[in-house]
Amino acid sequence: MAKDADEARFRNVVLPHLEEAYTLARWITRNRGDADDVVQEASVRAFRAIRSFSGGNARAWVLTIVRNTAYTWLKKNRSPVLVQVEDFEAIEHAQALAGNPEVETPESLLIAENDAVRLEAAISALPDPFRETLILRDVQGLDYREIASITGVPIGTVMSRLARGRSRLIADLRGKEQ
Amino acid sequence: MIPSDTEQSRLLVHAYSDGELDPINALEIERRIAADPRLAVEYRQVETFKQLLRERLPREELPHGLQARIEAAVGMNAPSQPSWRSLAASIAVTAMVASGATWVVRGPEADDAIRDGVVAGHTRSLMASQPVDVISSDQHTVKPWFNGRIPESPRVVDLSKHDFPLVGGRIDVIGRKPVPTLVYRHRSHLISLTAVPTPSPALPSHLADGYNVLRWTDDGVSYWAISDLSLPELTTFEQLFRSNAPDQ
Repeated sequence: MAKDADEARFRNVVLPHLEEAYTLARWITRNRGDADDVVQEASVRAFRAIRSFSGGNARAWVLTIVRNTAYTWLKKNRSPVLVQVEDFEAIEHAQALAGNPEVETPESLLIAENDAVRLEAAISALPDPFRETLILRDVQGLDYREIASITGVPIGTVMSRLARGRSRLIADLRGKEQ
Repeated sequence: MIPSDTEQSRLLVHAYSDGELDPINALEIERRIAADPRLAVEYRQVETFKQLLRERLPREELPHGLQARIEAAVGMNAPSQPSWRSLAASIAVTAMVASGATWVVRGPEADDAIRDGVVAGHTRSLMASQPVDVISSDQHTVKPWFNGRIPESPRVVDLSKHDFPLVGGRIDVIGRKPVPTLVYRHRSHLISLTAVPTPSPALPSHLADGYNVLRWTDDGVSYWAISDLSLPELTTFEQLFRSNAPDQ
């Protein structure tokens, strides 16, 4: 029966990646209750589309659906928060220019590291494109090519978002300890 | 050759830290890092930052009941066993690599947590569509695959001539930390070999959750072997793993 085959496929392709799906949804929506809804909705979408999965990278396929579902879900259920990416980049750039190699040691970052709450808050404050890229790479361990495919941008953009997002977080974590 | 302006160099330092550069560009960036203190700081900060995320950011657990709700939402009945599970439900071997100080886990409760994590990782891999993320019988393919994904790639030993061919590798998460897992095959049994850098005292063999658990220590490295095989068969695997040097 076709439904049995679909179910078997869904079990093999989607279910093994639920936890990662939830992690990505949690960080895109910045809310665990929302993430729960998003993962459930994305799973239903994935089930309907399971025959279009042509093999290959199941994890990237699932995460792509989760990501798109999350943004659609946010648009529908949340009032949009405008993010000024240009401002963000200007601030980040200024911070980079002000950098002083004599003072900026990794050790100063280590002092600030013991507060997971602050770390989560700093990540949550990143604009969407930077946050999702950082989560996919530094939390979920995907490579640049996979991230480019999931987020629908060139690899160069992935590289730039990652570097900027990290620099911003490093600056945040260092700045608040003083 | 890659552009030399500072902004581009900064981006490439991140890509270098992520293991995303080819050897030629990696060499070039290494040279620039050595020559430019600002890039050296950037590199150290990126490395520290990534370690901080790995160690301090809590892992997201799947909410209880979510999977059941999803299965109900798509009209599925009670879960059935994946077809190859009977083939693979077999043996898990965990190597506790005591040398790496990058991740520090202490105390008996930490050992218990690691053992639980290892069993969970193995079980989860049996539920997945395939037990590995990189499929290769070539250790020279599998070992580099880990570079750039985790701080330390695991010791890879070629045991194919002893009927333990390498199947591939994957990343498991023990506690909150990504750790390398090698998968070997023995007849119809799969073996998960997970390397967890942690100081771990040698403990006697015992039975846990219906598995035989075997522990040994070599050159400051503690190994855990978990299996449904008999103790003599597991001991054979231990002896093979200990007597064959990694070919790097």
